[in-house]
Amino acid sequence: MTALAATAAATLAVRGVTVRFGGVVAVDDVTFDARTGEVLGVMGPNGAGKTTLFNVISGVQRPTTGDVSLSGTALTGRSVEDVAARGVTRTFQTPVMFWGLTVRESIEVAVAAREFGGTYPPAPYRELVPSGLGSSGRRRAESALRERADAMLARAGIAAMADRPTESLAFGEERLLELARALAVAPTVLLLDEPLSGLNPDEVEAVVASIRAARADGVAVLLVEHAVGELLAVADRVVVLDHGRMIAEGAPQAVAADPVVIDAYIGDELE
Amino acid sequence: MIESIWQYILAGVVVGAIYALIAAGFVLIYQVTGLINFAQGEFAMIGAMTAASLATAGMPVFEAAAIAVAAAALTGALCYVLAIRPARAATGVTLIFITLGLDVALRGLGLFVWGTNPLSLDPFTGGSAITVFGGKLPPQAMWVLLTDVAVFGALYLFFRHTYAGTAVRAAVANPPIASTFGIPLRTFAFWSFVVAAAIGGLGGVVIAPITSATYDMGLTFGLAGFVAAVLGGLESLPGALLGGFVLGIVTKVAGGLFSTGWEEAVGFVILVLVLVLRPQGLLGRAVRRA
Repeated sequence: MTALAATAAATLAVRGVTVRFGGVVAVDDVTFDARTGEVLGVMGPNGAGKTTLFNVISGVQRPTTGDVSLSGTALTGRSVEDVAARGVTRTFQTPVMFWGLTVRESIEVAVAAREFGGTYPPAPYRELVPSGLGSSGRRRAESALRERADAMLARAGIAAMADRPTESLAFGEERLLELARALAVAPTVLLLDEPLSGLNPDEVEAVVASIRAARADGVAVLLVEHAVGELLAVADRVVVLDHGRMIAEGAPQAVAADPVVIDAYIGDELE
Repeated sequence: MIESIWQYILAGVVVGAIYALIAAGFVLIYQVTGLINFAQGEFAMIGAMTAASLATAGMPVFEAAAIAVAAAALTGALCYVLAIRPARAATGVTLIFITLGLDVALRGLGLFVWGTNPLSLDPFTGGSAITVFGGKLPPQAMWVLLTDVAVFGALYLFFRHTYAGTAVRAAVANPPIASTFGIPLRTFAFWSFVVAAAIGGLGGVVIAPITSATYDMGLTFGLAGFVAAVLGGLESLPGALLGGFVLGIVTKVAGGLFSTGWEEAVGFVILVLVLVLRPQGLLGRAVRRA
């Protein structure tokens, strides 16, 4: 594959991204691609710049230099809403819930966001008509939305807690909901920030299954995770950051055997 | 004595229903934007004065009412677009001062357009007073109470049974994250002003046949609506409803038993007590925020 072809195939292109906070360089000239239907592991010790990198990709943080593009369209400089509307979705180290909504409603928000895109809601007057009072076409659309939400709940294995308020969820359940909510948007790029942290083995298995399913659906998954074994098992490629710089990139086992990576990160993790 | 108190309570229910509508406007805008809009009472003034002046000019009362509500909604839209949105990066205190400025400006506009003379509006329907367990209610009181049922019912349906309502609740719960799901916070902020203004305008229209309409009525209704919203819980629409009725009844009973001068004093005593003893209001709760 030529370099040009490789670039064309990239879903997400990160080019020379540097982020400085005063005198601190959080991300230092990082360049990589994340392709459709692959899981890209992002490894590195605490403070390596992984979350800052996610903030840059998702539009929360503007890079000092460099840029990010999605299928050739620049993301840098766009608002968080605009980046999200273009298919970039993320989860957080600490799960973020919509308190006051039920689990089902949280998924419905995401499904509706996918249906209506970045202009949601496209026609406020149309949304004012409750289900059952609108036209037959309207009812069919609402019914279809509800069915898709139910399917997402079942696929994520959280259908049993669909009607529970988010305030009642345990930490692991919050993680499962946050991931299901992110997937319900049908993202092009999914940024997962330590999705396995704090989970029991069953929950880890469920999250890993969801990540693999997303990959099979053609999503480019960027996975930040300190559970090195699980990350190496699920990732197709890995990039390693240390003090903001990218010190390695490649196949999981090759990266895991890289002395530089072992010295900077994996050695510490295994101790 | 008991008959008198019952009559005061009925009067309190009617005025409390209007307080509840104004309070609902406060809550809507506060929930969606985090802003306390002290110009909320002026939307009631715009509604009442517009309806009364149009009806006085010969327009049928329901047409006048519809135009008055639209005028209030338009005023709310202009307030947001011209005064709030350009200053969205300002601090909370600055925004509060902006709404206080809007309040003064709209009252001044009312004075300029309609003058100081009160305007009257005929009741929507005729008939004699309605007797409720010995107490009397004017026929217009039924329209006031029906308006509350319709407005709060519509708000309940919207928030609980539409996707847009769920999206608004998500935006209220966590604005930054909601925005990453394509939920347009600024659009919702705009519509919160429009709807709050329309509700306030509707409140002014339906109460005008009972109280008459004056250019400065917004100050009284605005302060009462604010107290009712705080009393019920600034983040709770059911709280706005409850707060409105409790405030209306307590102030009218106090005013009837002692002196009408006590009404506002009692209202502010309630405000202070709530802020000291239960700052989250009667139906408010300590919400977990991410």
